[in-house]
Amino acid sequence: MTGLRVPPGARRRDLPAAGDRAAAGARAEPPDAGTPDAGTPDIVDAAGGDQRQRPVGPARLGLIGWLRWGWRQLTSMRTALVLLFLLAVASVPGSVIPQEGIDPAAVTQYYAAHPTLAPILARFSLFSVFAAPWFAAIYLLLFASLAGCVLPRTFRLVGSARQLPPRAPRNLSRLPLAVSYASTLAPETAVQVAGQVLAGRRFRLRSGDGWIAAEKGYLREVGNLLFHIALLALLASVGIGAIFGYKANRLLVVGDSFGNTPTALDVFRPGRLVTPADLQPFAITLERFRASYITSGTELGQPLQFNAALRYSTAPGAPVRSYNLRVNHPLVVDGVSVYIIGHGYAPQFTVTDGAGRVVFDEAVPFIPVNQTGLTSEGVVKVPDATPDQLGFAGVFLPTAVDSGGRLESVFPAALDPRVSLVTYAGNLGMNSGQPQSVYQLDTAHLRRLAIAPRPLAPGQSMKLPGGAGTLAFTGYKQWISLAITYDPGQLPALISGIAALAGLILSFMVRRRRIFVRAQAGPDGATVVDLGGLARSDAAGGFEEEFARLTAQIAGAQVAAAQAGSSVSPAPGDNPAPGNYPALGDTEGE
Amino acid sequence: MHRMPRLGRPAALASPRRGALTALLAVLVSLAAAGCEGGAIAADTPASSGQSFVSGSYGATFYQPGSRPQAPAVTGTTLAGRPLSLRSYRGHIVVLNFWASWCAPCREEAPALAALARHFQSAGVRFIGVDIQDNVASAEAFVRTFGIGYPSLNDPGDQIALAFRAAVPAAIPSTLVIDGSGRVAARIIDGVTYQGLKALITQVAAKSI
Repeated sequence: MTGLRVPPGARRRDLPAAGDRAAAGARAEPPDAGTPDAGTPDIVDAAGGDQRQRPVGPARLGLIGWLRWGWRQLTSMRTALVLLFLLAVASVPGSVIPQEGIDPAAVTQYYAAHPTLAPILARFSLFSVFAAPWFAAIYLLLFASLAGCVLPRTFRLVGSARQLPPRAPRNLSRLPLAVSYASTLAPETAVQVAGQVLAGRRFRLRSGDGWIAAEKGYLREVGNLLFHIALLALLASVGIGAIFGYKANRLLVVGDSFGNTPTALDVFRPGRLVTPADLQPFAITLERFRASYITSGTELGQPLQFNAALRYSTAPGAPVRSYNLRVNHPLVVDGVSVYIIGHGYAPQFTVTDGAGRVVFDEAVPFIPVNQTGLTSEGVVKVPDATPDQLGFAGVFLPTAVDSGGRLESVFPAALDPRVSLVTYAGNLGMNSGQPQSVYQLDTAHLRRLAIAPRPLAPGQSMKLPGGAGTLAFTGYKQWISLAITYDPGQLPALISGIAALAGLILSFMVRRRRIFVRAQAGPDGATVVDLGGLARSDAAGGFEEEFARLTAQIAGAQVAAAQAGSSVSPAPGDNPAPGNYPALGDTEGE
Repeated sequence: MHRMPRLGRPAALASPRRGALTALLAVLVSLAAAGCEGGAIAADTPASSGQSFVSGSYGATFYQPGSRPQAPAVTGTTLAGRPLSLRSYRGHIVVLNFWASWCAPCREEAPALAALARHFQSAGVRFIGVDIQDNVASAEAFVRTFGIGYPSLNDPGDQIALAFRAAVPAAIPSTLVIDGSGRVAARIIDGVTYQGLKALITQVAAKSI
């Protein structure tokens, strides 16, 4: 392990001879190689009598030496703790600054509100903290630090699994807990009885000439290592989830269906190694959706319950199953979790163009801008109308009520729906190929048609001026928005977390302790029994009581053995020959 | 895990300097890692792109004759309501184009596709469209606008796209070129150009002999 590095050229006459070293080692040797806690007090320099060697200057490190030094710094606990702290600190911007992965709209708003600061923050990846390179550097370094420390210690623990306790020190009275008393038993018997008691208490024993060393509490190191390995596994699980998992969003109108492919997903955030071919090929149809709301009291209009009746299949051609999707009761299909995270309305429009042909007939999802009445805004684009492309932008009110000349929605259920649209004609800008959001109208090349937006009830239509056509509001449907997540590291992370907790508890509750027993013949013929106890890392206390209890048990067992021995063993001087026993029935003697 | 001082460590470094060097090392490594990708991430913000939706990464992939994935059974109903199956096109090179009427890049490539369909008609190359996430009225109006002469399958539930496990049409528009034996010979993600697709079809036709 360690040893003084002897520079080349030093003469070795100061080192003890091999035989001397063996003798010195028998006197006292380090408790166990590699664990640096102070053990028995009689530790001696591992190199024996080197103190008189000629002093050497500081050794110069080469590249290998510096690398080794760097590795030792990295795998030290101090570095690991600093990195853990940095990990927590680095997560703070992820909570304070809007994140792209969670709320891209908020990020856009931040850009609008802080036009000079936002690009600087983006440069340091502060809008996607958990995908940032510096965040990855922190947890990768933490990973390396943990692995570099834990794995060698694991090998050492496995190697020392059957290691015996150290030899009993010569002078037990120097141990923190020591007791000495006399016994009538012979030294060997006293030690043997003590060993039986300790073995009964599941101590690991090592016996020698007139002494016994007992040790217990190896589970503490096991718990310690379990905690650190579980922490490593937790990091790895989170990493696996991020690399092989994905998150996606999809808005689904009642009656529509979609398949889990990138073209059908509104938002798709794959992990690093996820390709479109890795997506589980399930398909979901939304049959019915019902939302119930509170209809009276102060919380009027708050949603009570969402029920979405789904039909799904795990692959094209597989049997179709039903599921009732509710909030916090996700559909789990093929390892992928599908949650319902929102809902809204999709008014249906039929647009007839100037040539009399139906060029649009669909339910258009409108996005809620107000949660009390679910007032929703949306856009209808009709790029194939003749003579001009048409665009409509407007508002859908589920329960429209006239308040002071303006219409507003007072309740989220569609009790009296109205839709009010502004009409545009011209060039929607779609033919140039630039992708557009389906929720935004680019009015740069559109002219507004001179028709006053009036609220339409279901079934009503409005005739567009200049022979541009007709728009009919034929009804409405509801839509739900689904969050699709696949995280293969979730279950391993849970198991690792539980294991880490178990390891921590084990390492706190189990104490490593040693008991030494020596018995030798005292000056007056009686046996002097020395008991010594040592607890390493006794943070929880309690070893003193245990030591006292064990002492009492050992002493009691020795007394009982002495009494039992004196009642069956012959008195000194009395040496009956086999023929000298009184015969049965012989009443002489007694 | 506290280590006792070990013999052999450089004696020159005192404890505060050691701590400072550790911190410097951590900072340097982090900065080096941060310098790699900051630019790419900054370029991808929604404010710079103006929207948040799924856009595939552009690319044209040509599969060599020995390693072409088998196209799945593509069946369905056309926009006109008639049944259509890819199997009935065996022996012809088929260009399968995924599109939708609301998709702006699909509108940009539509004239090229219509023209190429007419150009290759006599050579036996057939074009089939797959209209996804769309309503029939808008799709038919799209077909009328661009004078598309080939049929399009109506696939509102993505069953056809889901069936492709290899050569996945990962964005729209996507175009797959399927050779005469039903294997995918080429895939283009994102819009096609007249010249580009023409060259690709010619290449597939030449290598399929």
